[in-house]
Amino acid sequence: HIAEDTSDLLQHVKFQSSNFENILTWDGRLESAPDTVYSVQYKTYGEGEWLEKKGCQRITRKSCNLTVETGNLTELYYARVTATDGAGRSATKMTDRFSPLQHTSIKPPDVTCIPKVRSIQMIVHPTYTPIRARNGHQLTLENIFQDLLYRLKLHINHTYQMHFEGKQREFEFVGLTPDTEFRGTIMICIPNLFKESTPYVCQVKTLPDRTWT
Amino acid sequence: QEFQFGPCRVEGVVLQKLWQAFWAMKDIVQAQDNITSVRLLRKEVLHNVSETESCHLIHALLRFYVNTVFKLYHDKAAEFGVLKSFSALANNFFVIVSKLQASQEKMFSTHESARRRFLLFYRAFKQLDRESAVTKAFGEMDILLSWMEKFYQL
Amino acid sequence: DGVAVLPAPQNLSVQSTNMKHVLTWSPVIVPEEIIHYSVEYQGEYESLYMSHIWIPSSWCSPTQRPECDITEDITATVSYSLRVRATLGSLTSAWSTLKHRFNQNSTILTPPGMEITMDGFHLLIKLEDLGPHFEFFVSYWRREPGAKEHVKVVRPGVLPVYLETVEPGAAYCVKARTFVKAIGRHSAFSQTECVKVQGEALPL
Repeated sequence: HIAEDTSDLLQHVKFQSSNFENILTWDGRLESAPDTVYSVQYKTYGEGEWLEKKGCQRITRKSCNLTVETGNLTELYYARVTATDGAGRSATKMTDRFSPLQHTSIKPPDVTCIPKVRSIQMIVHPTYTPIRARNGHQLTLENIFQDLLYRLKLHINHTYQMHFEGKQREFEFVGLTPDTEFRGTIMICIPNLFKESTPYVCQVKTLPDRTWT
Repeated sequence: QEFQFGPCRVEGVVLQKLWQAFWAMKDIVQAQDNITSVRLLRKEVLHNVSETESCHLIHALLRFYVNTVFKLYHDKAAEFGVLKSFSALANNFFVIVSKLQASQEKMFSTHESARRRFLLFYRAFKQLDRESAVTKAFGEMDILLSWMEKFYQL
Repeated sequence: DGVAVLPAPQNLSVQSTNMKHVLTWSPVIVPEEIIHYSVEYQGEYESLYMSHIWIPSSWCSPTQRPECDITEDITATVSYSLRVRATLGSLTSAWSTLKHRFNQNSTILTPPGMEITMDGFHLLIKLEDLGPHFEFFVSYWRREPGAKEHVKVVRPGVLPVYLETVEPGAAYCVKARTFVKAIGRHSAFSQTECVKVQGEALPL
């Protein structure tokens, strides 16, 4: 009996993670029959049992949200998908070992840019994650990464930049020219793990100086 | 930037370089470990380690990696074409062990609990056949690096 | 191994400046022939625990030039052994090994190149980018008796970076040095550069 090759039923089973939102995704056959269904299991590395993910059994879509199930930062995880087509053929594939801490990418921060006459204030708002502490509180990125810092740049008419870098969440660029356009970029950086968010960009104009009018 | 394991200080090792080296081979190495139901560096080994204990524990663990795991894994590293990453980790672990050695000799506190934790790891290692154990230990270096990161001061 | 008829490369040495390490040797000359060279390295770990193991260099196994940028191969602050051999077709020379092991903590750190400019009342600095190993410590002060010296860690970039808002009519001085985490060493300070700010000094 020659085992039928069913590897084409299922490819690229992997986690996509951003700010600890951990989504399992996969690809089916290019022209996968509409009646192909997928079932998801997951497990904690070091434990014996595979657990079925409720809500992702015999589904036709090609993604499954495992954020809650993979929410312990000190654990590593595996997930696997079983695809079954209408003819009863099936294939199972597993992810690489998944570490939320190492794999998650960081989204741009949420920032309020406040223009004044000769300065621009930037307030970075905390980024909450789905991760909860033992007491049930939602953790922010700052709670999770001890070396997290913010890197701010103010671009001045394409000729030079003002830089700020630090853990605080309020910054003010001073000594600016009134009634002038500036572009600010703010990134979250986690140096130890080489993580850097794409920048939040704000385009602001300082207020006109009305002191002598 | 340095490691501060309780009273033991280690300079001259850049944590990001260790992560960079490990990530360059992570998926290849971990894919060889198909015993997903066993974890050597379990919570009981690494959680709630006191400051003074941390120096003894990391010294025991890294010395084991340098003397045993790296030595036995070398041929596989050559086979998978990851010798450069292997060498980067081996030599940096060697630096840490050497510097911890010096600190250790000045420390008088008992390290019985650190020894118990190491033995948990070591017994789990011994329960597997040697090749599986070495592959698993090598693939768990990210667990070790994550733990070491708590003692890394910017 | 091939028959070692070919002479082994001689005069191996390493030049290391600002964490860029280059191994050089005297070329092996065979008229009208192109010689290739292979470079291998061993860290302290390999030397002590598996001395038979040598690792091919990232960029020079093989190479035609009598030099090799080994910067990417040096990944720890330990001493490294390096060796080179020549190859011509099936002929292979003996290995030639660097006499003194190399450690990156011996690299020469030069004061950073810097350019001081003004934009209105903004004092700006542009620093030479030396790569990921380097941090830049910039000291600046107002040139007057008892002035306080400020120190800032500055990231090099394509554009100049703002240092300070200055006062008209005053003079300000700046100097910079680098710091390399991996070896825990500073460079010397650069030459001090001073600039005079246009305009009338503000009344006291």
